[in-house]
Amino acid sequence: MMKKVGALMSMALLALTSCTKKSEHIAIGPEDYHNSVDKVTEVMIHDIFSPPVASRIYVYPNIAAYEIMAKKNQDYQSLSGQLRDLDAVPEPGNKEELNYELAALISHIDLSRRLIFSEDRINVYRDSLYRTWENTNEKEFNVSKAYGLEVAEHVALWMDKDNYKQTRTMPKFTVNSNEPSRWQPTPPSYMDGIEPHWNKIRPFVIDSSAQFKPAPPPPFSMEEGSDFFNEVKEVYDISNQITAEGDDSEEVEIAQFWDCNPYVSVTRGHLMFATKKITPGAHWIGIVKIASRKANSDFAKTVYAYTKTSIAIADAFISCWDEKYRSNLIRPETLINEHIDDSWEPILQTPPFPEYTSGHSVVSGAAATALTSVFGDDFAFDDDTEVPYGLPVRSFTSFKQAADEAAISRMYGGIHYRKAVEIGIKQGRDLGQFVVDNLSMESK
Amino acid sequence: MNKIIAALAIGFLLAGCKKGGELFDTLLPEKTGIDFVNSITETNDLSILDYLYFYNGGGVAVGDVNNDNLPDIFFSGNQVKNKLYLNKGDLKFEDITDSSGLEGNSSWNTGSVMADVNGDGWLDIYVCAVVGINGFDGYNELYINNQDGTFTESASKYGLDFDSYSSSAAFFDYDTDGDLDLYLLNHAVHTSGSFGKASLRTKRNYETGDKLLRNDNGKFKDVSEEAGIYGGINGYGLGVAVSDFNVDGYPDIYVGNDFHEDDYYYLNNGDGTFTESLRTYFGHTTRFSMGSDVADINHDGLPDLISLDMLPEEEVPLKASEGDEDIQIQQLRTQQYGYHYQFTRNMLYVNQPDGKFMETALLSGVAATDWSWATLFADYNQDGNQDLFVANGIPKRPNDLDFIKFVSSDQIQSKINNTRLVDQKAMDMMPSGVHHNYIFQGRDDLTFEDMSTNWMIPEKLISGASAYGDLDNDGDLDLVVNNLNAPPSIYVNKTNNKANFLKVKLRFKGKNPYGIGTKVYAYTDGTLQFKELFPARGFQASSEPIVHFGFRQKELVDSLKVVWPDRTCQTIKNVLVNQELTLEPKNTKSHSGVSSNKVATPLFKLTDGNLGLQYLHKEDNYLDFNREKLIPYKISDRGPAFAVGDLNLDGKDDILLGGSKFDPTKVFLQQDSIFVPQNFEAIRKDSIKEQVSAIIADFTGNNKNDIVLGAAGGDFYGRSKRLTETYLIQKDTAFTDGTFPELFQNTSVVKPCDYDGDGDLDLFVGGHAETGNFGKAVPSYLLKNEKGVFTIDDSFDKVNGMVTDAIWNDFDGDGQKDLIVVGEWMSPLFLRNNDGQFEEAFDLEVSGLWQIIHPFDIDADGDMDYLLGNWGTNNKFNASKKSPLRMYYHDFDGNGQTETVVAIPKNNKYYTLEGLDGLAGQMVFLKKNYTSYSSFAGKTVEEIFSKEQLEESTIWEVNTLASGYLKNADGTFTFVPFKNELQVAPIMAFASYDFDADNEREVLVGGNYFGVKPYHGRFDSFPGALINNEKNIILGNQLGLDFTQKSLRHLHVLEMGGQSYLLAIFNNANLEVYQIMNRQKER
Repeated sequence: MMKKVGALMSMALLALTSCTKKSEHIAIGPEDYHNSVDKVTEVMIHDIFSPPVASRIYVYPNIAAYEIMAKKNQDYQSLSGQLRDLDAVPEPGNKEELNYELAALISHIDLSRRLIFSEDRINVYRDSLYRTWENTNEKEFNVSKAYGLEVAEHVALWMDKDNYKQTRTMPKFTVNSNEPSRWQPTPPSYMDGIEPHWNKIRPFVIDSSAQFKPAPPPPFSMEEGSDFFNEVKEVYDISNQITAEGDDSEEVEIAQFWDCNPYVSVTRGHLMFATKKITPGAHWIGIVKIASRKANSDFAKTVYAYTKTSIAIADAFISCWDEKYRSNLIRPETLINEHIDDSWEPILQTPPFPEYTSGHSVVSGAAATALTSVFGDDFAFDDDTEVPYGLPVRSFTSFKQAADEAAISRMYGGIHYRKAVEIGIKQGRDLGQFVVDNLSMESK
Repeated sequence: MNKIIAALAIGFLLAGCKKGGELFDTLLPEKTGIDFVNSITETNDLSILDYLYFYNGGGVAVGDVNNDNLPDIFFSGNQVKNKLYLNKGDLKFEDITDSSGLEGNSSWNTGSVMADVNGDGWLDIYVCAVVGINGFDGYNELYINNQDGTFTESASKYGLDFDSYSSSAAFFDYDTDGDLDLYLLNHAVHTSGSFGKASLRTKRNYETGDKLLRNDNGKFKDVSEEAGIYGGINGYGLGVAVSDFNVDGYPDIYVGNDFHEDDYYYLNNGDGTFTESLRTYFGHTTRFSMGSDVADINHDGLPDLISLDMLPEEEVPLKASEGDEDIQIQQLRTQQYGYHYQFTRNMLYVNQPDGKFMETALLSGVAATDWSWATLFADYNQDGNQDLFVANGIPKRPNDLDFIKFVSSDQIQSKINNTRLVDQKAMDMMPSGVHHNYIFQGRDDLTFEDMSTNWMIPEKLISGASAYGDLDNDGDLDLVVNNLNAPPSIYVNKTNNKANFLKVKLRFKGKNPYGIGTKVYAYTDGTLQFKELFPARGFQASSEPIVHFGFRQKELVDSLKVVWPDRTCQTIKNVLVNQELTLEPKNTKSHSGVSSNKVATPLFKLTDGNLGLQYLHKEDNYLDFNREKLIPYKISDRGPAFAVGDLNLDGKDDILLGGSKFDPTKVFLQQDSIFVPQNFEAIRKDSIKEQVSAIIADFTGNNKNDIVLGAAGGDFYGRSKRLTETYLIQKDTAFTDGTFPELFQNTSVVKPCDYDGDGDLDLFVGGHAETGNFGKAVPSYLLKNEKGVFTIDDSFDKVNGMVTDAIWNDFDGDGQKDLIVVGEWMSPLFLRNNDGQFEEAFDLEVSGLWQIIHPFDIDADGDMDYLLGNWGTNNKFNASKKSPLRMYYHDFDGNGQTETVVAIPKNNKYYTLEGLDGLAGQMVFLKKNYTSYSSFAGKTVEEIFSKEQLEESTIWEVNTLASGYLKNADGTFTFVPFKNELQVAPIMAFASYDFDADNEREVLVGGNYFGVKPYHGRFDSFPGALINNEKNIILGNQLGLDFTQKSLRHLHVLEMGGQSYLLAIFNNANLEVYQIMNRQKER
């Protein structure tokens, strides 16, 4: 009996002490935001999202957080009216007690939760944070949470009209192997072409998915000496050359560093399993973190950098996928196996969608341009994004250099022809510049 | 660890053995003395990661090695030593491995078989091995029987000491020169990601390629190349079955290959060579082919075949495991890489008189026996029908989807790549594939009844190689199964004197004293039982070299005909049952050896020139499942349209054939003895539409025939003009467009009739579906003809559904033509015509996936019965009045696009046909609800969808899948299903005619259908049938017809120049013309 009373008393005491903490401010810094983004990346790897879908999962939560941040911080301007169909987010009711950073973070977590599959994994993370914040300052937490969720809801309503749901039930890509130039599923999983309707997703800044439509690839011809044949042959020759040099060759290292394939199917004996990595977009999101940290960016600038980069990436995927299913170009692996060497395998596993243009090239071009606009040119950094996946750190002198390397890595990897890489990175840079030029985010 | 598993298994046995099953007792090692355990030990260097067939198990061979008339048992172990047990009688066995010198020297043994290789009357033992990978050494060993209880390993002396990747072997006399030759079954181990072209099989590879070895006076010579045996790098040989499949006196070979490589069907040419003929005789095969067996299951004297795969029966492993491949990948694999159709389930191939196989596993009830290795046909209960035993199980299911997609990468992938150490904890996350073995009771109608939990104690074991023999000499067949990590199962048959048997031992001459290859035909009361002696059967095993029959309560076998391997035969009359009969050649006569599977006097014969009807229907490449991912079948492949009528005013019937999308409709004009194509501009310019139904008739009353074409195709949508019907009026000699209502549904059928009695032809237009909105009931219309102008009869609103066919027929005998409409997910609608007004006459409550209706007095009682083509029962659907098949139609995710979810009843619950990936591919919210496959597997429809979602759904039901007929008894109709041979595929066409000139009309039936996902397979093996009457139905393969591997749409009889012809019109294939060999019916 006595024990129970004692327990009750101590609980009451605890409650009291937590109440007395009322005045303590919940401090939210850039690291909290990095953690939230990392958490989303982690769940995305588990759930397996294709690169275009992954770009969508990054961008909306960032925009929600940015809009809240820009409400407070006069250095930044709202994106409403700048991003297609985005209306101004609601005004906060209780401005005095609102912690804008906290609200921004909460809205980021909440929207992310809606976008991934395994909600439990986000919920566990969120609930532990909520408990800490609630214990620190219940009032501030409740006010910020209410506003964060309100903005998340506002952005979600806008997001739900981006045609994503509709594209889920649109027709699958129809394989037609009678057309020699047309893309075909590739070994070992022979997966369906993913996201054939991604060009119907509402873009953010660009006018339409076709605004940065690249020049077409060289006309298909497997006649020796034709431009196209030479491109196929070049992939084969480079691959053989660097394979001969061994796994330690710079080119193989570059190819593997930028693989960024979320689902590589592996067969070993009777077992099948997947090695999973982050997507190309996620790699650049990782670079945002590296750059923000290196530049000692505050919370506001960190959110700004993530938002701008993820917008450029999202539009880049829309633009790139528009071209992929326009040209429907066959992958080097299919042609080399058919015409040159039936046992040839690319260094990287061929991803399940048409070849032209290279997604990683377009996205890297766009992301690097956005990052340059935030952190400046000649921003040197050590890229350790891929360390958790068993890959080394690589150092770059600028975002542009990193993007160039990411692009050429696809040729080394044996999954793209040269034109897809060269024209792809230009497509990405042009698009990135357009995004940078058309978005007024920093108040000048 | 293994000891613990073994101990556990023994514990289970002890607990379960007290009662035994109804037919079999399971004997324990303590009783039998058989204490062999094929324990396998995983190490860092050797596991399923290193060797893909790590779990395939050892071998077993049953035979009397010391000629004391008691069958002995040899087991091969993978890593443990082999063992030979001498049968001491009374089911006691003595381990004589040490004294006999049989323990073996290879690192990894696989199949083992007994055969009298040197022909001295004593059984020798051949033990296969995997050598040259994973540090395995040794070679295939041949133990020659010294006739004194010892054996001498003599493989190199005989030229059989192969150091390759062998699975099993079969000794038989392929060249009928009197000695035993060898087919050596090998398997590939490479795991390259790409399929590679099918032609890889022609490049020989020593380690992986199968071999045919000819016995040249005791020295075996590799004759694979010259004999036409494939031996490539892509042959994953796991099953070999030897039988004289085409009964021409020369043994043939069926080889089951795992993974994407096709199975091989080698027909013996009788000149020392074989012709691989899979595609000609098999429409499709097992995909992950494992063991196989052969027996005549339907008493027709033709060997039938079963090949095993790994489809689970229960919902949880079914939905948690990888299923069949995507339809587009299958197209790529078959069209681009050159492989045949393969599907993940057991296949039962019933041998037909034309040498082709009717595949009936789903209908027969033996399609899903989980991860299955070995199978043995035998008459275990001695009732005269072949029963079926299946041994199965795998320690870990490598095809578990959670493991493939989630667990593996998180838990073990880095370990595999970095240290190659497989963490036991991670391996444990692969679910166990332990499952009880199956035994089925064979019945008379091609079906088998699952008696697994009745006949035996259902033990959870990893079972593999199996063999039968009469271990206790009581006349019935006992089973011996080599298990993994547990003692072998010894199933002792308790039939004893409950039913009669005959056990035949053969004493043949020369180097084949056991008479391998002998055929025995037993006749009782006109029923034939047919057996061949090929002891190597099942999987990595050989059974006792005896021929065993069951005769129920019959006391006497009317006659026993023995056909010896040298194609001589003898007949013994009035043989007493319940005896062991030893037969040797005596008073033999020469046996023709001529294949019995040729139709001597066919009723139908393909014409040479097709009467000039050179018509290829080419389906366009639109794939319904790309747009509507969940629909149960295609709607885009219902063409071509077909109509007959005089189009050029010469009094001769011409022929019109519709084209698929972008392919023009074609017209052939009848000349004196031939048809010639004729181009009509009005028809040709209409080429964009896909036309599936056509009528040639005079609608305008100018005595010139007009044309109506019904449009469908499932691709054009909305209010596309391409979906509207075409109406062409013939004026002078040209056709012009007439007035016709615009109907935008996919039309299935157009049928003319003057239903309002005003002297002109009106029309019924059947609606099948709305493009992109499958599951929505669409209206069918009556169109009134007024002076050649058609308008919708608004008073008619009786038909809303998915109509496929209709006829005008006076079913109530009031002199007015009534309308009978059939369709999918609906009951036949009998609409009584009352002066142009229609009312439903009765409610039949036989909802089906009806394809076609045809009036025919099948019971010859003078009133009209109606034949109905349905989906058949040889598919994964499942329906009864009590538990109908269901289809839920609703916009489940509220995105403006409707979905259909098909659910089948199983144990009184409803489960979706589609797995999580299929459903979530269309309804993303399911991905959020089920983040793992195991959380989804085993969930019912009610659990997957909310109450509201289901309540808001339209629910379509089917309670009958069988084709059959509505039998008319004084105006009351009762549905009677056809026999099972007519249920193997959807029936798509009927035609009445006096085909055999007996002055009575018969009905010819045809079908087959391919518009389904690989989940269902291909309904390709219905050979057609001629229905004389209720009792007399003859399959088309006995009449000279060949309708297999083609999907029939129309049958039509044409009389021309004093001859009768049958036109067979197929979807996506050439039109075929048979001449009807109009002869008086025999008998």
